[in-house]
Amino acid sequence: MRTDFQLYLRGDSWLHRLDPRVKLAFVVTATLLAFMYPFAWMQLGLIATCSLLLLTARVPAQRILRLWRNMSIVMLLIFVLSALFAGGDSPILFSLGPLNVRVAGIEQGALLALRLLALAMVFAVWLYTTDQTDMVRGFVALHMPYEWGLTLALAFRYLPTFGSLYARIKDAQQARGLDLDAGSLRERVQAYQPILIALVVSALRHGEALGWALEARGLGASDHRTVFKPLHMRRPDWLAAGFLALIVILATILRVF
Amino acid sequence: MTADILVRDLYYAYPAARPDLPPQPVLRGVNVEIPRGQFVALLGRVGAGKTTLCLTLNGLIPNATGGVFRGDVWVQGRNTKEHPVAALAPLSGMVFQDPEVQLIHTRVDDEIAFGPENLGVPPDEIAERLAWALRVTGLTDFRDRSPLLLSGGEKQRVAIAAVLAMRPQTLVLDEPTASLDPAGKAAIFGVLADLTRQHGMTVLMATQETERALRYADRILVLDEGVLALDGAPEEILREADTLHALGLATPEMTELSRRLSAATGRAYQFNTVSAAYRRLRRETPHGDIIPAPTVVPIPSADPPQIRIEHLFYSYDAERAALRDVNLNLWRGEFVALVGRNGSGKTTLARHLNGLLQPAAGSVSVDGLDTRTQRTSALARRVGYVFQNPDHQIFAATVRDELAFGLRVQGAPAAVVGQQVAKALDLFGLAAHADQPPASLGYGQRRLVALASVLVTQPDTLILDEPTDSLDARSQREIMRVVQQFNAGGGTVLLITHDLRLVANYARRVVALSSGQVIFDGAPAALFGEKRVLAEAGLMAPRVRRLAERLAWSGMPTDILTPEQFVAAWVGRP
Repeated sequence: MRTDFQLYLRGDSWLHRLDPRVKLAFVVTATLLAFMYPFAWMQLGLIATCSLLLLTARVPAQRILRLWRNMSIVMLLIFVLSALFAGGDSPILFSLGPLNVRVAGIEQGALLALRLLALAMVFAVWLYTTDQTDMVRGFVALHMPYEWGLTLALAFRYLPTFGSLYARIKDAQQARGLDLDAGSLRERVQAYQPILIALVVSALRHGEALGWALEARGLGASDHRTVFKPLHMRRPDWLAAGFLALIVILATILRVF
Repeated sequence: MTADILVRDLYYAYPAARPDLPPQPVLRGVNVEIPRGQFVALLGRVGAGKTTLCLTLNGLIPNATGGVFRGDVWVQGRNTKEHPVAALAPLSGMVFQDPEVQLIHTRVDDEIAFGPENLGVPPDEIAERLAWALRVTGLTDFRDRSPLLLSGGEKQRVAIAAVLAMRPQTLVLDEPTASLDPAGKAAIFGVLADLTRQHGMTVLMATQETERALRYADRILVLDEGVLALDGAPEEILREADTLHALGLATPEMTELSRRLSAATGRAYQFNTVSAAYRRLRRETPHGDIIPAPTVVPIPSADPPQIRIEHLFYSYDAERAALRDVNLNLWRGEFVALVGRNGSGKTTLARHLNGLLQPAAGSVSVDGLDTRTQRTSALARRVGYVFQNPDHQIFAATVRDELAFGLRVQGAPAAVVGQQVAKALDLFGLAAHADQPPASLGYGQRRLVALASVLVTQPDTLILDEPTDSLDARSQREIMRVVQQFNAGGGTVLLITHDLRLVANYARRVVALSSGQVIFDGAPAALFGEKRVLAEAGLMAPRVRRLAERLAWSGMPTDILTPEQFVAAWVGRP
């Protein structure tokens, strides 16, 4: 089992113990802030807050840095494209052939890139510290149908499985002499064909077996599904929820008036 | 007494893969009645219909699969055609072969509570059922662990506990031990025997483990091409050892020995266990001129080794080293077995030989080429690697294309490709399937295709990762026959396996790993004498070897590997 595709990190910190509904409320609140305040300082603030939260939950700093590194490619792409193509009529900073790099383009690119990282960090706070079973409990307690919550949890559950399946299939095809790094771009893309076909066939086999296994475990047998460990809001949960509500109210007032 | 499971005139064919093909019947008239409290083992070759029969016992067939279904299946008096699968789940629990698809939670207790929650069981009662299910599967200390991080045998026990918590009267298991090491297999069989004897459950388990099935089960069913060929108590089935053999199944080692001894001496020997054999044989003494099995591996030639591994270290994460200071040389034409517990580093070591992994420290060279300077695709010409799961390799539209793929990517001209592929199709007996999609073939045949698609490129060295695991005896022999031919033609073989009978029959040298270190490197006959090494590697010497050791006082040589050698030593007077 490769653990690098696994999102949830086991732990027993205050953030792990926090009610999953409150963590969901955090995601909603932070996302609101990121969009209500389209300024770099807000995005940077969110990134810093989330980093601190994750560190207090004893998520290793390496893990956070890896998320930054993984996001950096997309961020760079967004920044460059915005800088080259956006900016409207704002002053031209310099020209690259037919393209004009404008001040507003740079600003907008930086904001979009930072906001992307901020959102990734917000979701990391939720996903890295919430057991998928708790996640489903949270959704169901908020009256989402159980099957929907389960589907979402299964998607997270099988990320690492399909990640390692992909890695194994790639190894198996390379061991047969498939060269993924040679030739033109088109040849290289074509070289991935055997891997993708084997991956899809394996995933379909897997999906069928999973469906059978769920039926055999009685999924859908009773209209009155019970919950073994029901959620209970404790004092810290209410405090955190109240704090989040306060932030939403303040942020709205400051923004609107 | 009422039957827990009743199967009447059952005929079933899966929906055809293509509309123009006729449906292929998998079950053709099965009749079985299983009373409450029996532990039934279902044997049969790959493709005999074992999985299919299992899936009919909780209604997945035909309710979830469709296809042509005739006859009736009753589970505790309920006809499976008339009830949805989820409603049958609390009557007939089903455990599948692959734990990966059955374990969907990140805590053992949540996993086990999932079934009862679906059934609407009140939380208090779930807690009781959870405690009971953990206890009977020996997992009481595991309730907070993550199922995904357990060993294969522990995962499978969680899967069993998760089904038990729904309190089914009947438990159906489809080859639950297929990919486990010997310790994991033994634990599962022990749990199942307890459930029938102490908790009155009815258990039906499809398996290839003839030896263990005969020891633990109350009754044996043998399926052959969709019909029941044998049905009886283990003692009765043991008397039919010749039939088992003819049906392509493994026979217990001691049964095979008694058969061979009877044939060689003309006297009637009839024993199935080491103790029984000892009681029968201690009254006689061997009188053969004994040719001891070699205990020292001869170095095949004075040439430099083909594969040279020096001071190899490797780790997947910072906490634990997967390989620690491994030194190993392989010479051209050797047949080496690599043994050890799951997680001992066998696959990690093998993956260094074709560059899928690069040494963290130390070096690996193939024909003098450092693997760090070579791409895997280039090393693949020298070192062929057959993966454990054939579905990771198979992708082409036809078997013919699948075999041609390796040659094509290595740039062989079309004429050569056609010629080589035709030869391989013949050698592997796949010619009849040449234009079928390999993904539609049975599991045994998919494994043959995966092996063929590697061998067709004519590598110098062949690495096989558990090539025979979950295959029946005849399919095993088919695969090993081809591997032996490759070896006889000068090819080097590295065989990763848990099966010491396989090692005894084929390997001339064996390397044992434990926690990433080589703890033994020598002849199989010498390994079986090293009790400490065997224990550390989680292995048991073949039964003939243990019998020979018990008879050592009578002059029996102890370095015996196979029943053939035992018979030769016992009667081989010139």
